[in-house]
Amino acid sequence: MEEEDGTPEKDCPMKTTSARHQDSAGAEGKMENFTALFGAQADPPPPPTALGFGPGKPPPPPPPPPGGATAATAPPGADKSAAGCGPFYLMRELPGSTELTGSTNLITHYNLEHAYNKFCGKKVKEKLSNFLPDLPGMIDLPGSHDNSSLRSLIEKPPILGGSFNPITGTMLAGFRLHTGPLPEQCRLMHIQPPKKKNKHKHKQSRTQDPVPPETPSDSDHKKKKKKKEEDPERKRKKKEKKKKKNRHSPDHPGMGSSQASSSSSLR
Amino acid sequence: MSGKLDHLEEHLEKFVENIRQLSIIASDFQPSSQAGLNQKLNLIVTGLQDIDKCRQQLHDITVPLEVFEYIDQGRNPQLYTKECLERALAKNEQVKGKMDTMKKFKGLLIQGLSEVFPEDVAKYRSIRGEDHPPSVTSSSNI
Repeated sequence: MEEEDGTPEKDCPMKTTSARHQDSAGAEGKMENFTALFGAQADPPPPPTALGFGPGKPPPPPPPPPGGATAATAPPGADKSAAGCGPFYLMRELPGSTELTGSTNLITHYNLEHAYNKFCGKKVKEKLSNFLPDLPGMIDLPGSHDNSSLRSLIEKPPILGGSFNPITGTMLAGFRLHTGPLPEQCRLMHIQPPKKKNKHKHKQSRTQDPVPPETPSDSDHKKKKKKKEEDPERKRKKKEKKKKKNRHSPDHPGMGSSQASSSSSLR
Repeated sequence: MSGKLDHLEEHLEKFVENIRQLSIIASDFQPSSQAGLNQKLNLIVTGLQDIDKCRQQLHDITVPLEVFEYIDQGRNPQLYTKECLERALAKNEQVKGKMDTMKKFKGLLIQGLSEVFPEDVAKYRSIRGEDHPPSVTSSSNI
């Protein structure tokens, strides 16, 4: 590379120090060859000594880290924590002891014995209907079947207007229904599935379900079964079951009060 | 807290019962049932208002999302509580086993080292004896 002037000294940034590196003749000769090769671009950089930095001193030590401390300025308590300090290598202070560790029985510590015996001592039933027996509808089915899952409610919350206002007369006009029963597809929505009971108890369900046409062989068999039902213990059980079924019927007068009183069973 | 939850539970039960009765009215509707239907609709609105008031009192209660998964699957949410307790107990036993094993190992190690390096172990014990808090020394095998 050659400069336009052809005069290296004028444009050379090291012009002020050019006088300093004329001391050694050998160096000058090398510099001439250097300039011949690369043109009169610039003089080679002077050695550090010529620039006044002194004889090659070692680089200064790096600054200590902000949290660390050297041996001269370390506080007395820090010696124990540093590796290599003390009689044994990597011997450090033990961590502070706490009362609550994994060796203590946390269930007794947090007074959860009653809860543990309640949930783990007894057999907990699997179905949701066992937890909410009074809730109508088919609640044991997964929520994904009829798009009634709680997860979807959390992920896509409905857009709420603000407050709940009572429905006025003009709005109630939109709730005029057609007379007559619902189509069969919608009828079964509020009916709960029959609960599984013992084989001996399923005889009573036959009285409510549609009875198939009797055959002569069946009639004799059923007569024998009816005789067995005349026992007093079975009569008492029948009465109790009938009472329970009647409670769930809509024609029962004490429907509202019975629902509130049954709330104690959920607790 | 339990009183507020009971209050909410009562409102929810009444609300569900109102909806159930509404569905019965709608399942076989008659012209004379219109007044009852309108009454039930307004009861549903007031029920929602009552539930909304209860919600404001229970804003600090948090429910784990895993419980919702159990409910969505049609399973009893008490099973989640049961499994949490069982997992906590299993983990507790596991950690206790680890701690007991480490303590035994420490004791055996000190014992073995004291046979090979009696002076160093004595020195170590003296240091630990000074720095050890009393609760740790009581549980250790040194």
